[in-house]
Amino acid sequence: MPMTIMPKSGMPPGALPMLILRVLNSGSLHGYAIAQRIHVLSSEVLAVEEGLLYPTLQKILVKGWVTADWGTSETGRKVRFYRLTPDGRKQLKAELSGYDRVTQAIQDVLRTA
Amino acid sequence: MSELFRRIWYLIHRRRLDAELESDMEFHREMAARAGRRNFGNTLHLREQAREAWGWTWLDRLGQDLRFATRILARAPGFTLMAVLVLAIGIGVNVSAFSLFNMVALKRLPVRDPDSIVRLERRSPENQTDEVSYQSLLFYGRNAKTLSAVMGVLGVPPMEIDDDVQPTSASFVTPNYFSELGTPAAYGRLFDPTRDDWANDAAIVVLSYGLWQRRFGGESSIVGQTIHIDKKAVTVIGITPYAFASLGGQRPDIWLPIAQQPYFVEGSHVLTDSAVSSVRMWGRMGPGVTAKSAAQELLALTNELRRQHPKEIWDKEYIQIDPGGHLQVMQPDMYRIAAMVAVLTLLILAVACANLGGLLLARAVTREHEIGIRVAIGAGRGRIFRQLCTESLLLSMIGATAGLAMGYVVLRIALDRMDTPRWLSPMPDWRVMLFTFVVTLAAALFFGLAPALQIARQRQHKTIARQILVAAQVAASCVLLIVAGLLVRATHHALHSDPGFGYQQVLSIDPQLGRHGYTPAAAKAYLDQLQSRLRSTPGVRSVSLVSLPPMGHSQSSFSTDASGHSIEVYPNSVSPEFFQTMGIPLLVGRTFFAGEKNVVIVSQSFARQAWPAHDPVGQRIVNGDSSDIVIGVAGNARINAVNDDDATEEYWAAQPEDMPGMTIMASTGGAPDFLPPIAKSISENLDSRLFPEIRQLKTLYHERVSVVEQIAAIVSLIGMVAVLLAGVGIIGLVAFTVSQRTKEIAIRIALGAKRAQVLAAVLRQFAWPVAFGLVVGTGTAAAASRLLRKILFGVSNFDPAGYAAAIGVLVAIIALAALLPARRAFRLDLAKTLHFE
Repeated sequence: MPMTIMPKSGMPPGALPMLILRVLNSGSLHGYAIAQRIHVLSSEVLAVEEGLLYPTLQKILVKGWVTADWGTSETGRKVRFYRLTPDGRKQLKAELSGYDRVTQAIQDVLRTA
Repeated sequence: MSELFRRIWYLIHRRRLDAELESDMEFHREMAARAGRRNFGNTLHLREQAREAWGWTWLDRLGQDLRFATRILARAPGFTLMAVLVLAIGIGVNVSAFSLFNMVALKRLPVRDPDSIVRLERRSPENQTDEVSYQSLLFYGRNAKTLSAVMGVLGVPPMEIDDDVQPTSASFVTPNYFSELGTPAAYGRLFDPTRDDWANDAAIVVLSYGLWQRRFGGESSIVGQTIHIDKKAVTVIGITPYAFASLGGQRPDIWLPIAQQPYFVEGSHVLTDSAVSSVRMWGRMGPGVTAKSAAQELLALTNELRRQHPKEIWDKEYIQIDPGGHLQVMQPDMYRIAAMVAVLTLLILAVACANLGGLLLARAVTREHEIGIRVAIGAGRGRIFRQLCTESLLLSMIGATAGLAMGYVVLRIALDRMDTPRWLSPMPDWRVMLFTFVVTLAAALFFGLAPALQIARQRQHKTIARQILVAAQVAASCVLLIVAGLLVRATHHALHSDPGFGYQQVLSIDPQLGRHGYTPAAAKAYLDQLQSRLRSTPGVRSVSLVSLPPMGHSQSSFSTDASGHSIEVYPNSVSPEFFQTMGIPLLVGRTFFAGEKNVVIVSQSFARQAWPAHDPVGQRIVNGDSSDIVIGVAGNARINAVNDDDATEEYWAAQPEDMPGMTIMASTGGAPDFLPPIAKSISENLDSRLFPEIRQLKTLYHERVSVVEQIAAIVSLIGMVAVLLAGVGIIGLVAFTVSQRTKEIAIRIALGAKRAQVLAAVLRQFAWPVAFGLVVGTGTAAAASRLLRKILFGVSNFDPAGYAAAIGVLVAIIALAALLPARRAFRLDLAKTLHFE
């Protein structure tokens, strides 16, 4: 299933699943925290809209890259925490190396052309 | 794969998962609100978007569409009923036809391993026969490694049980027949290949279940009793099962072991003479054997047979292998007939669909308001289109269900009325279901697509789609009507026309001398005596001999060369009086002298083809190494091809060596019913071992004609249904056009237009499509009827009366269908119409 993510808030297309996987790599988070983490880590450049985050999360869930478990939020509310699966870890590795290659290639073109 | 499972898991738990998603997003919102953001989107919409990732949105939409479609159809019960009826007819006719084909050609026989059963027939580029000699059968059976078994059936004329007046059908079979099919006995036992292959054992017989019930009252004590068949004592050993499935659909009532054939038919050489091909051969392919390897082996064996019997095996002869595990072994011409029926029934479906398409288009205008509202509140074209397609599909499925039920009922009735094997069931199997499903989809596509496209684009008022539908309906009904017209004419022709020979008062008496081992001299003596005694019988007018009697068990045809024309002829050997007996006029020349050589008499059609400008008498016809001189021309007589008006005959004088194969023809002055018992007693006097087959040509002829009559009746019925459908469709469309243009018509009349002009204006849009449909339909029918030519009893496929009648009926119905609703335009209340709105 092709992912169709519109570039929004400076987010390059197709990057969101990879970013979500990356932030989940260091531990399970709930939806809002994922958005916050990406926002903070990108020095507030990338804003993840609700309307983009949840469809993407559902897609990743269906792919089996993450699973969701119930937990308690910092505000004491019952909420689902998303956790990376072994498949998700593999996928992250593959996407990162692919991304590195592509950015490297783009950099090369930009530098020499 | 695991992703698919996860998706299905999401589908099953979608309620819970949706609630969880909602809770996630609510939490997100709470947190965002704390952070000071307040611009949220529409939660419902967002959730819907998120759910799309699960990939089940289409299912939800389909559910919605179906619920909506059900409501829409329920709200217009009149339209729905009409549409379902039209579809049920269109689909039902197709399903019935396919079910029939399925039963005959696709369903496997309920026997052991039906897929490996094959029909084996002799073929060569020049010759073909469906029978082999018993010796060849044994040879193939002994030597073929690719066949695990070879079965044989020797068909014989009906035989007499005890002193019955009515003879009973009978066959001799190889003893492995029942065991290879895995048939259990209803009572007693059936033949056993290890016990019943000896000619000298006491004679045994197996009876059919039906005969056992009818003739022997279903008493189980019949097993073990001795009865007499053709005056020979024989012990009943068993009864075949009630729903017995036999090979090739042949179901005689008496089954006898082939090894004992000489006991019943005294003096017969059928089993020993390798020149006589009279056994139908069936085989069972060994496990893992392909038809190709079997064919190769059989070819090698045929070549070996030729070395042993150079005369009996043809040049380039091979054994043709056909799948045999069905009710019928399909021959090419059967496929042609099946294809013809398929085309006709599909035409019905086309008429039904075009009809319904027109109705849907007309309805679309009344639904304009509703569709407009839906578009206004945000439904996209695609969504509306999908909704309309769902409606069509729902209609189509209801129609198909009704059609399936109709097909079952029709076949049930048909099977009960015809004498069909008991195992045949009209219950739809998976093939019929699949077929119905495909037809349903195709129908929905055909009648629903064009209206749905037009409606979704909000072009309801365009006339072109309606015009195409009218043209299609007219064309399809035109084809159906013309074919029906031709068939009715053909039946009429068959019933009331002369086949070229007298059949009302003629009897054929076949003593089967050859099968009883008569030598030519003995046969001649017997035939002479029988003929002279018949001649001296009061009421008998003329007696003669023929090798291939009219409507007999075998026909023969070949192509011959006459002055450069290749002509397909039906050959026959006859005695000089034959033309007189049969009432065939000798137009030119003379008849034969008895046993005359190297002369022929040809039919008028032959002479016309070969020597259109010359006197045929005295012309020479070269046939291989013999050359014959034409001494006379006889009237056309379709002796061996009653159905074929183009049949051409060539007669030779019967030679002494032909005598064992001759049949006696006798014509009488009045009704011939008195003659059979007399002929029988004369024959019994001459040789009591013989049981001549005595048949009245009148009966045979009517049997043949009744088949065509039934076909014509069915096709006419179908044709009339199609025309009625088309008529109803056109009434609907014209009524709709009138109502759509009421205002325009009123204005025209108010401004002084003549009513006829107004009528013309309303109907003009249908004139072109109707004309176009008529032309296309007539052309198609003309092309299609060339296929029909051979089965039409001597009617020309360009029979102008048939065409004119069909087109006339169609035009009349169309005119009526157009004028009835158009009359409404005249009765308009002008003031009221113009004040409206």
